[in-house]
Amino acid sequence: MKKTKAFFRSMTVMGKRAPIYLLAILGMSVCFAMFSVMGSLLMKQVVDIAPTGEYRQLLISVCVIVCAGFLSLLLYRACTIVYNVEAKRVFGQLSSEVLDEELHLPYAYYEKHHSGELISKISYDLTRMGDIYGSRFRRVVMPIIEVIVFLVPMFIFCWQLTLCLIFVNCVILFADMLMVNPIHQTNKKLSAINKSMTEHMSDIIQGMVTIRMFRTGKRKLDIAVACNDEYYKTNKSYIIKSSTLESITMGCDLLCILFFLLIGIYFVNQGITTLGALAGIYTMYGKFSKQFLMIGKYIPELSACIANAENIFEFLDEEREPENWYADHTSDTNHNMNENLTENDACALQVKNINFAYEKEQQVLKDFSLTIMQNECVAITGPSGCGKTTLSKLILGLYPVESGDIYVNGKSIRKSPLSQVRSDIAYVPQDAYLFNATIEENIRYGKENATDEEVERAAKMANAHEFIMATSDGYHTMIQEGGVNLSGGQRQRIAIARAIISAAPIILLDEATSALDSDSEYKVNQALKNIQGKRTIVMIAHRPSTIRMADRVITI
Amino acid sequence: MQKKITKLVIKASPLLLLEIITSIVVSLCVTKGNSIISTLVDEMLQGALLDFTDTIPVFVILVIVGFIASFTQSFFAGTFANVVSTKYRRLVAEKLYRIEYRYITANNTGTILNKIIGDIGTVNEFLNSILPDMIGSLIATIVYAVYVARMKFTLFVLMLICYPLILGIANYFVKRIQKLTQTYRQKTDAMADIAQSAVSGILIVRAFGLEKRFREKMDGAAKELVENEQKRVNITNTILVIRQMLTWLPSIICALYAAFLVSRGDFSVGNLLGFVLILGRFVESFIGLPFAFVDAASGMVSIDRIEKVLTGKDEPTDKYMGEDVRDADKIIELKNMNFAYDGTPVLKDVNLTISSGDNIAFVGESGGGKSTIVHLLCGLYDNFGGDITIYGKSIREWDKQALRDRISLVSQDVFLFPMSIEENVAFGSMDATHEAVVKACKEADIHDFIKSLPEGYDTVIGERGTRLSGGQKQRLSIARAILKNAPILIMDEPTSSVDVAAENEIQRALEQIGQNKTCITIAHRLNTIKNCNHIYRLEDGRLTEGQVDVS
Repeated sequence: MKKTKAFFRSMTVMGKRAPIYLLAILGMSVCFAMFSVMGSLLMKQVVDIAPTGEYRQLLISVCVIVCAGFLSLLLYRACTIVYNVEAKRVFGQLSSEVLDEELHLPYAYYEKHHSGELISKISYDLTRMGDIYGSRFRRVVMPIIEVIVFLVPMFIFCWQLTLCLIFVNCVILFADMLMVNPIHQTNKKLSAINKSMTEHMSDIIQGMVTIRMFRTGKRKLDIAVACNDEYYKTNKSYIIKSSTLESITMGCDLLCILFFLLIGIYFVNQGITTLGALAGIYTMYGKFSKQFLMIGKYIPELSACIANAENIFEFLDEEREPENWYADHTSDTNHNMNENLTENDACALQVKNINFAYEKEQQVLKDFSLTIMQNECVAITGPSGCGKTTLSKLILGLYPVESGDIYVNGKSIRKSPLSQVRSDIAYVPQDAYLFNATIEENIRYGKENATDEEVERAAKMANAHEFIMATSDGYHTMIQEGGVNLSGGQRQRIAIARAIISAAPIILLDEATSALDSDSEYKVNQALKNIQGKRTIVMIAHRPSTIRMADRVITI
Repeated sequence: MQKKITKLVIKASPLLLLEIITSIVVSLCVTKGNSIISTLVDEMLQGALLDFTDTIPVFVILVIVGFIASFTQSFFAGTFANVVSTKYRRLVAEKLYRIEYRYITANNTGTILNKIIGDIGTVNEFLNSILPDMIGSLIATIVYAVYVARMKFTLFVLMLICYPLILGIANYFVKRIQKLTQTYRQKTDAMADIAQSAVSGILIVRAFGLEKRFREKMDGAAKELVENEQKRVNITNTILVIRQMLTWLPSIICALYAAFLVSRGDFSVGNLLGFVLILGRFVESFIGLPFAFVDAASGMVSIDRIEKVLTGKDEPTDKYMGEDVRDADKIIELKNMNFAYDGTPVLKDVNLTISSGDNIAFVGESGGGKSTIVHLLCGLYDNFGGDITIYGKSIREWDKQALRDRISLVSQDVFLFPMSIEENVAFGSMDATHEAVVKACKEADIHDFIKSLPEGYDTVIGERGTRLSGGQKQRLSIARAILKNAPILIMDEPTSSVDVAAENEIQRALEQIGQNKTCITIAHRLNTIKNCNHIYRLEDGRLTEGQVDVS
């Protein structure tokens, strides 16, 4: 039930394009079946017209049929293109929606779900969900439509014979269904044994030295050999079962064909049908039976993918980070707020009596307050676990405070949209995450339309220009995943350049130098000196060498 | 040289023969029925009265024969595959256990090995499904072709020319166009990358308000995906249309020719019907053939790779077992020893004597040949120059297993099997009791940790997140070495992959087992070798007794 719902939702995701997509599948199935029908029609005409000796007429009708076949192939091609493009379009659209959701989840969500696991799970589910559109759904629908298309001419040629054929096919299908379960069971057992055998073999290979160093190593070989023997035995019973199924299918097939022909000839003799029609049905029958036995075969695959779609929908329905954590303030209070700005214009950052806890019992910050003046350079320090990093997350509005308020540049985080508050803060974390882009682009993430000169100026201020120029492509050097081709200090200085280029009046550094060696730390601190006095600098730090730079030190 | 698999196939060939015979029978059932129908039609058209009384019993027999034959065909095919692949796998497993180490590590460590597991699977697949399909298709094609030839030889000739020729052209054509498709690869990776970096850098995205920009990036990538798909599908589908039409062509030509023969009176209508009926089956089995051959070719590649391993030399057995070994003074002696990997010299003219109770160390740059000496002492390679004697007997004379019984190796990359902790430690000795395992673990300072695991000694390594740290793994391997209790202890950078705290603990455990043993340590950190009485420096394959300032 839940799955049907998820399935319908995955169709409605396509919106207005759903009918186009569905029609494309219909068109594909009908056209491809028509092509096969043309093949049978050709044989029918050959057998029917040849004895009359009217070779000219035969040629004409063959030409017509070939053209019709070609035409149906062309139509099939057109439908396939539409189908594939639509499938990719909806996949792209879904990817965008999922990313949008990823971008807007509350920060707590990422801390709860390890981000690497999150992304790999989602992208797996997404790919599998894309498969619904790209293949799984079509594979279920196509055989059904094709069988229907085949049945029309078969019934027209000779409905009596066609009924017989359908009956025998049902018998085969029934036998199939009876055998499917035992075969599946044995198969499962077989692949389990195979898996463990493979494991033992790769143990022998990977642990080669270990195995040789100990006399007991032979045990491993013995286990692998025992596994192999077991595989042999299980496979024996599998072979018997699958051979039985094979022979039932083959026997029924033979039965069907031979007696079908006998009855057919009888009908021809009676004048009910023609030899050509017999040939036509016969050639069509092969394809019909193939598709007929295919019906239902792909349903489990579709259903498995729908389970992935369910996960995606669940994820999409996840609550997003609100515009503002304290939702009852609407835009008009926003307006009010601008009027009663702060008491003190010179205040860059004001934290007023905030309380905060991640979990109910563990109060991290208790009635905490601080005030930082404009262009001041303040270090916030304290023992680890005292809430320094939490404070920076609260200032960024990643979590709502329980009580109290924070004013960033005079704007209350209780009353202004989060995006506004954040735009006044340039953040430099301990582990400067650099995106998989050029150095230039990474800096430019701080200010979208920054000119090349601005980028360079920011880099110079951040003490980064020199080493950037020393890289192979200068500002156009691609930064590899996570910035592995740069040292920690270099990454940090790029992150500072990114912070400098943004117009944000406050630069918030969260343990920006704590993972660096003293040489790199020195360079980063030099960079900070360049901006000291020009912007408000709030640094969370515990190293004395860093703290010394500050105008004022606040200890939590 | 004859391949090992050929031997197995020959041995199982009666099964294969039965498979071939039965598949001929299956095809013959079809053609026999067909020809009866042809005759019936001709008789009917000549105005004879239809009489099925003779035909029905024949058909019943045909169906029964076909039923039995297809069962036996499938059964023999499966059994043949089962017998051959089981024996083959066993050969490989046993070979891997016995082969000289150098065959496996030669030309790029591990390349053969990494593939061999996959190769075994490929061969299995080849024997179990590709080969029977190939035989079935081939035989059906031949039987049907013979049937057509007996009806009308010229038709047979035309069929013989048309199919391979036109389908050959089609394949050639298709392959050329397929190259174009490669320009338009799937673009989904780019989208995954965008999502990946957005989430990994979510803090930055939030702090700088980059949400919209990433969304735009993704939308752009999605648009590109659709455009790319349009171009890609355009080409792939053109290929499909061409292929379908070309595959159809031979059937049209042959059918028209048959009709032409009928109109000239050279071919009976019954035969025409018979031909048309068999044509579909012929095409199906014929078209399957090339694909089967392509699959078979990839199976052959795998077989070749496995055969390469199978023809490698085994480690010699039944040699000097060390029966009369006494605690000699000179335990290990290297005499003018040279060694090269693939022609690159690694050790040059190394001379060294290690006496009983010595505690020596090798230091030097990585790549200097330190680990190679360890491998040589463990008897993993025999292709060295000069000589190594252990207890006065050349290492080439030693039975390798007997030699290794006298050496405990603690190396930097510990290999633990995906078995329980107890089994892993018990690997150290043939008859280790639970008590002995616990005692060894206590000595290796790992007992408390094991006890802290919910399943204790029964914890299966690698399962359900039981990931052990480098130090824990190392101490398990030390416990294993303690159980083995061999007189020579070789430690190959045992602490290189652990942090300082763990290093000290491991060091303590190693000192514990090093007592009263001849110890050889390979080190790159000097603090691990402070108790050694000789320190040798290996540089560029040459050995010098170094004056290393240990303090």
